Amino acid sequence: MLAGTNSQGGVIDGDRLSSLVDSERGTIDRRIYSDPDIYKLELERIFARAWNFMCHESQIPNTGDYFINFIGEDQVIVVRDNDGAVQVLLNTCRHRGNALCRAEQGNTKSFVCSYHGWNYGLDGRLLGIPGQKNFYRDQIDPAEWGLVKAAKVDDYKGFYFATLDPGAPDLHDFLGDVGRTGMEVLLAQGEVVAVDGVQKNIIDCNWKIAVDNLFDWYHVKISHRSAAKAGFLNPRMMMPMDQMVMLGEYGHAIGGPMISEAQQAEIDQLSDEERADIDLLSDAERAKLAPRINERRPVRKKATAEAMGPVGVRASGHPNIFPNLWISTRGMQVSLRLPRGPFETEVWWFTFMPKKFTPDQRRGAMKFISHSFGPAGLLEQDDGENWSQSTQSSRGVVSGRIPHNMQMGLGQDEVLEHPLGQKRIETRVNEHAQRWTYKCWAEWLRADDWDDLMAMRSPSPTGRI
Amino acid sequence: MDAGERLALQFDVEQFFYHEAALLDDREFRAWLDLVADDMHYWMPIRRTVTRDNLDQEFTKIGGMSYFDDDKDDLVMRVEKLEAGSAWSENPASRTRHFVSNVRILETYRDEIAVEAAFHLYRSRLNGKIDHWIGKRRDRLRRMEQGSQQEIQPGFQIFQRHIFLDQTIIRSTNLSNLF
Repeated sequence: MLAGTNSQGGVIDGDRLSSLVDSERGTIDRRIYSDPDIYKLELERIFARAWNFMCHESQIPNTGDYFINFIGEDQVIVVRDNDGAVQVLLNTCRHRGNALCRAEQGNTKSFVCSYHGWNYGLDGRLLGIPGQKNFYRDQIDPAEWGLVKAAKVDDYKGFYFATLDPGAPDLHDFLGDVGRTGMEVLLAQGEVVAVDGVQKNIIDCNWKIAVDNLFDWYHVKISHRSAAKAGFLNPRMMMPMDQMVMLGEYGHAIGGPMISEAQQAEIDQLSDEERADIDLLSDAERAKLAPRINERRPVRKKATAEAMGPVGVRASGHPNIFPNLWISTRGMQVSLRLPRGPFETEVWWFTFMPKKFTPDQRRGAMKFISHSFGPAGLLEQDDGENWSQSTQSSRGVVSGRIPHNMQMGLGQDEVLEHPLGQKRIETRVNEHAQRWTYKCWAEWLRADDWDDLMAMRSPSPTGRI
Repeated sequence: MDAGERLALQFDVEQFFYHEAALLDDREFRAWLDLVADDMHYWMPIRRTVTRDNLDQEFTKIGGMSYFDDDKDDLVMRVEKLEAGSAWSENPASRTRHFVSNVRILETYRDEIAVEAAFHLYRSRLNGKIDHWIGKRRDRLRRMEQGSQQEIQPGFQIFQRHIFLDQTIIRSTNLSNLF
């Protein structure tokens, strides 16, 4: 079966794609991190097809506010139009392709091309063409030459996503239970507002290495040892033995520390005020409540617990919205891992604050956040070079032929199903979520279109895993 | 201040900056910390590409997101991290060179001095990675009692370092060095 033709005319067949990711053996062919044909196929079949995170509504509150983002390597303008709706427009003039908007964000009345002056409205309509009468002799219909819009735009409680593929299911179905549970992590302390400023830096690694790391609770103790030694990280929190993994359709997953049923039962008895009080305790005071009440923050409120479901509320790890949106465990940041060729990734960090935080809470949260991630973060500083070297080693002729080992926990766990339907694996540190991500990744690449993907995608696993 | 006093102050401030740069480049981070006042604010906002109409959005403000927003304790933590052999982003150790120029004394008030300077931080990492960070600093220095530091060094402590990069998106794997 031929599964894909990339834009250079090369062909990658389905059998080869299957052999690259062997989820039965738990091995990954390193060429998926270096092969330019695979990279092109990823842009076409994953990024141009999936729902991609754009921004939060509070980043563009007013008419004419815009924020530039990417869907794969397609640059888009996310803009609030005159009717208050959020538009996602390809940032490329219909005339000669010039970027209309060359700033990262701002406010404007319209988008005027700096090349020949074609002028587009906030909804993408072509408002004016210089020389329409004299040069084009009125033989051009502006209605046909508006900016290309994303096929669908929708939001999950204020977090905007867009897809370029009209065949995509709606956002709710794309996210599924696991994706929606993941998004709820952001709302654990109520409605949020974006903090001004997106941290951005470029790491010379493949985007997938940066994505699968978010499930990786194996590296924390080693990669981030110096942050613990300097007193930034609580060593007890670095490698929690009790882990939970939730695997969702299309590759969404949540992996990391688990709140036990008994611990959640304790929390269930508390009012929202009591939960908020626990969050205000210092680490030392908080430790005294353990293990009766899990030490991970924040304690999710009743409404969030309800939205996350009886299993999801106990998942305290990192969600990834496939393909590349990481929601951080404290739930106030998300990171995009934007592909820039097989060997380069832009890492973006967005930060949010609960609207009802007091100035003190905000200061405390900002202090933790600004010292964790981002290029100067005490944690993230030490990630980049590992990812870079893991990627670059794929270039070697012989090194490139040696598969990566992703076997931790393979075949040794059981998927448990809650009577209300949510599934999870309760285990120790493992690589289930990474294996699932790559298994789904291969399915996205094999599928010819959304219908094909919906027909062939793996259901969320059951039984032995 | 007469010309002689201004010249002397300019000289002292520049010599202090060179001394500070040498400590960082020679990896004498503990000695560098001695130059940091207890009320230090060390801050690098996020810079963005914006149109001329939107220049008010070019930098994030204090309280918004930033790359660094540190007090002295945070800087001590960064130094402790650098000293840990397991700070992999700096082990093997990077080679850095801090250049400081265009030093302009903006204001003096009692024992405090506001200075703006251009900087160029060069980093050579592993065998093939080169990073350059160029920008301006707005520093505030406090003149210390004589004898509080090595005699030949001008006696200042830094209580503000605000770092404004000339690049927007950070084009390096990390910011694991001190500016």
